[in-house]
Order: sequence, then C-alpha cells, then structure tokens
Amino acid sequence: MISEYLDFIVQRMDDILLFSTQHLQLSFMAISIAIAIGVPLGITMMMFPRVSSLILGIANAVQAMPSLALMGFLVPILGIGTTPSIMMVTVYALLPIIKNTYTGLTGIDKAIIEAGTGMGMTKFQLMTMVRIPLALPVIMAGIRIAAVMAVGYTTLVALIGAGGLGQLIYRGISMVNSKMIMAGAVPAMILALLIDRIFSFLERLVTPKGIK
Amino acid sequence: MNKKLAIFLSVLLVATLVTGCSLRGRKAEGTIVIGSKNFTEQVIVANIVADLIEVHTDLKAELKTNLGGTSVCFEALKRGGTNNGIDAYVEYTGTGLVNLLDMEPTTNPDEAYEIVSKEFKDRWNLVWLKPMGFNNTYTLAVKESFAEENGIKTFSDLAKISDQLVLGGSMEFLERPDGYQGLKKVYGFNFKDTKSMDPGLMYTAIDKGEVQVISAFATDGLLVRYNLKILEDDKRFFPPYHAAVLIRQDTLDKYPELEDVLNKLANKISNEEMQKLNYKVDGEGKDPSEVSKEFLKEKGLI
Repeated sequence: MISEYLDFIVQRMDDILLFSTQHLQLSFMAISIAIAIGVPLGITMMMFPRVSSLILGIANAVQAMPSLALMGFLVPILGIGTTPSIMMVTVYALLPIIKNTYTGLTGIDKAIIEAGTGMGMTKFQLMTMVRIPLALPVIMAGIRIAAVMAVGYTTLVALIGAGGLGQLIYRGISMVNSKMIMAGAVPAMILALLIDRIFSFLERLVTPKGIK
Repeated sequence: MNKKLAIFLSVLLVATLVTGCSLRGRKAEGTIVIGSKNFTEQVIVANIVADLIEVHTDLKAELKTNLGGTSVCFEALKRGGTNNGIDAYVEYTGTGLVNLLDMEPTTNPDEAYEIVSKEFKDRWNLVWLKPMGFNNTYTLAVKESFAEENGIKTFSDLAKISDQLVLGGSMEFLERPDGYQGLKKVYGFNFKDTKSMDPGLMYTAIDKGEVQVISAFATDGLLVRYNLKILEDDKRFFPPYHAAVLIRQDTLDKYPELEDVLNKLANKISNEEMQKLNYKVDGEGKDPSEVSKEFLKEKGLI
C-alpha cells in the first residue's frame, strides 16, 4: 500500500512539483496582500474606535460566509483563474490579521503609554516607537494563523481554475483514486506546516528584546 | 529591532513582487481557453478539444479543467478567455435546455439541440457546434448482484421496492427539475432516505453498501469498475444530454478556422466509446491527456 503510494508520487513528481509551486505562489500572494490591507486596517481601527466595530463586523461576516458560496458569488463578478482566486484567499486571511493587529495595539499596558506621553512623545511617535513594537508578536501570531489558513483555502480554488494542489485532490475524488487524493493532500499539509514554521521563526525575530 | 522588521518587510516585498510577476504571465495572442466541469468525462473531452485545436491550427489551447460545476463553467464562458474566463467547453443539450435556459425538458434530441442553438445565440451570443454523438443522460444504477436478486430491470421495478432503499445522488441531480425532483413524480419513488454527495464518492458509498441506488451518467467508466447495472428509464423521463462544444461567437469570428476543426468531432464518439474512454481514466488510472491522444490517433484525427 505504502510502496504503491510512493510509486505514484514518483510517477507524478512533475505534476506534484508544479502544483505545489502554484499553490505556494497563490497562498503567498494572498498572504502578502492580506498583510498589506489588514495591518493598516487594524491600526486605523485603533485610532478611530468608532469605526472599529464596523470593520470588525464586516470582517467577521465575510469570514463566516461559506467559502464555496463566496466562490459561486465571485465567479460572475471576477471570473476564474489566478486573480479571483487570490482575492478569495485574501478575504479569508484578512480577519485574523485585522483582529490581532487591533488586539495587539489596544492591549498594551496603559502605564507604558502614559510613560510615553509623559516623555513628550507625539501620537505618531507613540505609535511607531511604543505601540507597534510591543504589539508585533501578537500581530505576527495573527499573520501566522492567516498564512496556515491561506494554504488550506488555496486547495479550494482549484475549482475555479487556479491550479494548485487542490487540482490533484478534486481529480482524485472524481476518479475515485485515493492515491491521487493523497498526492495532493500530503504536500498541502507539508506546505502548511512549513509555512507555520517559517512564520513562527519570523515571529521570534520581530519580538522586541525587552519582552522576550 | 527596527532593522529586523525592515529586513522582514523587504523580504516579504521582494517575494511578493517575484511571485506576482511570475503569476502575471501574459496570455499570448492566439490562445483559446478550454474549460471543463469536475468529472472525468469532461476532463477527457476538454483534452480532446484542446489537442485538436493545437494540431490543426496555429492556435494554442490552454486548459482550465475541473471547474466547480455547470454554473462556474457557464459564468466563465460568458466572460471569455481574455477576461478571466474561458472560450469554450463541452456542454450537454439537456443541461443547456433545463438548467441554463430554464425551459421544459423534451425527449426529442433534435428538438433539444435546435432550441438550445437558437436560444443561446440570441441570449448570450454562444454557439453550439455539432454534437459529438454520445448521450450522457442521467440514469439510476444498482449493483449487478442486487439487480439479479430482486429482479430489477427498469425504474418502475425499482419504484416498487424503493421504500426499503437509500438513494445516493450528486447534489445537482437531487435538486434538478430534470433530475430527482421530476423523477419522483413520474415513477412515484419513495426512498427511505436520499443522501447527496460528490459524484466520485457515490461509487464508494454504493460499493460499501451505504446506499443501494445511485444517480449515474450513462457513460460513466466507474459503472464498469464497480460492477453496476444501469436501469432502464422505461417511462422515458430523462431528456437527452448530447454533448457538443459550446463556444463564444466572438472567438469563432476571430478564428473562423475553429468551427471546421472542432466539427471534425461530430458524431465521432458513441456512448460505448465514451464509456471506454472514461474507464481508461477511472478504471485503469491513465492520464486524461494520454487517453485523448490515443483516441484521436485511433480515429485518424491527428
């Protein structure tokens, strides 16, 4: 059984490598875009508490929407292929980043902020020199969750022609070929674990010495 | 700390740019995008269409297979290959008539083809090329041994004992007016339970005995692999589902040679042949692109 599976992997190595690369590229693009949108949004929420519940509400609602439904809804608007797929994965990766950025920035000990203010720091200085550095580990943890989720969601976008490892999984299901399903699922798992490791390393890297 | 953060951000930025550029891959002029739904037969015929195009024209064919069902394919087709969509895929007349046009099913294959040809042209500027020959109608299948033991040959036979059986069907089948919803009324089926599942998983379910009857396509290769028997639709409920290439008119305008090339497939694939092709993939584990090339060579088309 296991040797059969290994044979299959060797036979399909080209496909598996190609789909893994696509998978990684798609998830990576989505994560980057989600960071570029999510972190500034989280900061905005902290600075303007009145909009925070609105933004969080929208992000929560989008997250709660079943991914297949979102896909069916996006295809007539955006079409199929790479771009709509990246957008879909981005949407799902946003929430943990927004939430953690907001929580990280607001959860800082009041005494530290007061000390900063006492030293005559401007709001901008407080943000860049106190709040963000102290919140970074929490923000990074959010990014890490988002990254692992993104790798998972990327398997779904094979259904809208973006390729990736989902391609092998869905093909395997329609052919009732469990080897092919595994050939897609196992590399997807490995990618998720790998990304988790990389981001956990980055998390430690950006944690300020003072709070390690 | 700030230095580290700067390193992290710049690494992220560079990586994003690199992957972004590599994904961008501009679509070359003269590329036809062929889509397919997410079952084996569709992937095979999409490969056949793509191979024919590449061999007989100077155009390139790009495959987008395993798209999530009729609606994804159709919406993508309406957008077109240059607009994050596709230019052509293989559709079935019955599906076009009942699902996409939302019209009453008919049992006459020619009439079905005429209606879809006219309506698709008028409503969406889409063209149905000549039917390929096979009729991939919905049907119900049971295990051969089960059919023998209970003496079941037709849907009417099955209806008599349906209250003791569980039906497994694809979600699409269970919901479609030309699927289980209509079938129930015509034959008076009264299954103990119906379970909806992915088409591929139905076969494992009937093999394990979790369901006794499944919805199937007449040309399914898995029917052979799992020793299943197709029952006769004795009241002729299911409309015909003849397969044909559905293509955008503007693609044909741009590349007029496509019509003749793709019409080479007219009446070239019978039900038995399609089932054999499906079996090569589902039963023997061959690659759809390999099966497509074999078939085209056999028919002298490449």
